[in-house]
Amino acid sequence: MTTASALARLLKPVVPLAPGMSIADVADRLLTPEHKAFLSLPIVDDAGVPLGLVSRSALQDIFMQRFGRDLRGRHPVQEVMNPAPLMVSLDTSLEDAAKQITGQLQYPITEDFILVDSQGLYRGLGTVLDLLKAMEARIEQRNLVLRKALVDLKESQTQLVQSEKMASLGQMVAGVAHELNTPLGYVKNNVPLLRELSAPLFELAEAQAVLADCLGDPDCAEARLATALDNAASARESAAPELLAEDLTQLFGDTLYGLEQIAELVVGLKDFARLDRVMSEEVDLNDCVRSALVIARNAIKDKAETHLRLGELPRIPCAPSQINQVLLNLLNNAAQAIEGFGQILVKTWADDSAVFISVQDSGRGMPADVLARIFDPFFTTKPVGQGTGLGLSISYKIIQEHGGQIRVASQPGRGTRFLIRLPRPQAAPLQRSA
Amino acid sequence: MTAAIRILFVDDEERILRSLALQFRRQYEVLTESDPRRALERLKREPVHIIVSDQRMPQMSGAELLAQAREVAPDTLRILLTGYSDLDAAMEALNSGGIFRYLTKPWDQQEMAFTLRQAAEIAARQVQIAVADMPTTLGNQRAALNVLLLDNDGQTLSVVAEFCVSGGHRLLRVASLNEAVAVLNNQPVDMLISDLQLAGEDTAPLLKSLAQAHPRLLSLVVTPFCDTQALLKLINEAQIFRYLPKPIRRGLFDKGLLAAAEQAQIWRAQPAQIVTRLAQVPREAREQEKVGSWLGMLGRLRERLIA
Repeated sequence: MTTASALARLLKPVVPLAPGMSIADVADRLLTPEHKAFLSLPIVDDAGVPLGLVSRSALQDIFMQRFGRDLRGRHPVQEVMNPAPLMVSLDTSLEDAAKQITGQLQYPITEDFILVDSQGLYRGLGTVLDLLKAMEARIEQRNLVLRKALVDLKESQTQLVQSEKMASLGQMVAGVAHELNTPLGYVKNNVPLLRELSAPLFELAEAQAVLADCLGDPDCAEARLATALDNAASARESAAPELLAEDLTQLFGDTLYGLEQIAELVVGLKDFARLDRVMSEEVDLNDCVRSALVIARNAIKDKAETHLRLGELPRIPCAPSQINQVLLNLLNNAAQAIEGFGQILVKTWADDSAVFISVQDSGRGMPADVLARIFDPFFTTKPVGQGTGLGLSISYKIIQEHGGQIRVASQPGRGTRFLIRLPRPQAAPLQRSA
Repeated sequence: MTAAIRILFVDDEERILRSLALQFRRQYEVLTESDPRRALERLKREPVHIIVSDQRMPQMSGAELLAQAREVAPDTLRILLTGYSDLDAAMEALNSGGIFRYLTKPWDQQEMAFTLRQAAEIAARQVQIAVADMPTTLGNQRAALNVLLLDNDGQTLSVVAEFCVSGGHRLLRVASLNEAVAVLNNQPVDMLISDLQLAGEDTAPLLKSLAQAHPRLLSLVVTPFCDTQALLKLINEAQIFRYLPKPIRRGLFDKGLLAAAEQAQIWRAQPAQIVTRLAQVPREAREQEKVGSWLGMLGRLRERLIA
């Protein structure tokens, strides 16, 4: 609808010429102000069927010849018209009309085009310049739409990245909360036990204090002393401090250990989520590996045994929270790839140019067609609702933004290995030696 | 006092085991294992009345352990102690492990002690039954059971109806909870198949009160609703027999119905005073009230059971 009316808007209702009109009269017509804007004029028969176009340049060619006007001025215009002019139906879309016209027009442009209705009857003239302007406006409008779509797309991408971040954060928090349950469980149980077990010790101390008073009092009656001795002895027997000592030592040891575990988890969480501190100071990536493992421990512990082979690493500038996110993603994927109980090996090493982290699992591996797509956004092998398909694509982007590479090798049935390479800053040692 | 009740705690964290052992060693004979495989070996070798297992352990999950423990030592009461709210694990522990309680970490000292005391009471009763040498498997006699259906779902109806026809059981259908109570007060019911919603009403309080009024009634819950907390309460407070997700998975449902029928037959063959189940009273006051009011309506049933 809009495209059909687009051509109608270009239509100029120029009064057509009869085929028998003389060339001289046509020339006069072309000189009138209302026809100044046209390169050509249409010739239409009585029935309204367009016969051709007569162009300004065709007439100029005649008139430029010596005695041209005198010799041919009286001839009918039909003789010099172009009998196969450009004819465009009004119901053609703007784009199709443009395609048709640019396909048939020749250099130099000497003619306009005839607009006809669906029966092929003359309706008016259109000029190439107007068509160009209309196309330009159309393109401008399209650009606006595209630009808006691009903005929307970027926005939704940011939202998706954010929701992936929230999802992995949620997973992490749930994992840590669960991880806290174990030490919290026994610490919470141990403290009342400690109180209960140590209560007899206070009774013993009390009885012994009474006894000491008796012993220190020269006036103390025999009977009172005997009772105090008895009480102290029985308190001692019920408290059984020798036996208790072992239990208490164990309980205190366990409780302290549990509290340390809790503290370690909380510190790990804090380290881990040094949220979006952009390019941080020099970082030892082994610290990142360790803190990611603390967080991932819960996801891994019943799936795999973890082996660490951490080499000596030079510190490199990076965003530790982002590297942690990548490592957590790789560790979780590794745990999920394992059927039954398997192995996860994390290795780090460095050479002159870069630092390397490898995360290898003994899981089910991936066939080549899956492997080729794992870094694609939204690609996931997990059931709907269980993975955003963004984890690895975000990891890829993070490593790329650090100037590094992430590569993967996998063998179905054998396992998968991810290798991260992060470059060492190169300029520093040279400057120092200079 | 009969021989000491033996409780086996299984957890991959030794400190949990030590803590629990120290807490309970005075009341019970406490055994501990940090490896579920060794726990299974132990169950085969020596009598254990109660087993309390962690869910997530490297060698096998607690739900798996309890399911296998049921095969090895069916009379041992099974309790899951876990820090994870994992619906699948809870469902497996109930449906395959037939657990007595589902406890969460970190646990409450009093609650743990109370739960173990309840379990120990049941275990002590079981010991006496064992002495009396009760049949725990069925011969050829099969009684027709009464099966009450509290679900308007057509699919549930067709599966349960088919089960009743092939087993020769009576299917009782009701459209509301009040009708259900009327049926329960008029005749003995062996099995109850219920959604958590019936005609807009919450069926959980009725299930919980039935667990108290009629501990031998076997409830199978079929529901589209998946909530670990709700399931946990249904296990502990309603002693449900199975929790089956909707849409119905035919094989799982059929197996649950058959297992319930088998259990009901065994109980029918035993004298009424021997009850091996005990539900926990809900902790929330509002819920307690609801359960209490259903209990009142079920009064006649209780009287008849006692008589």
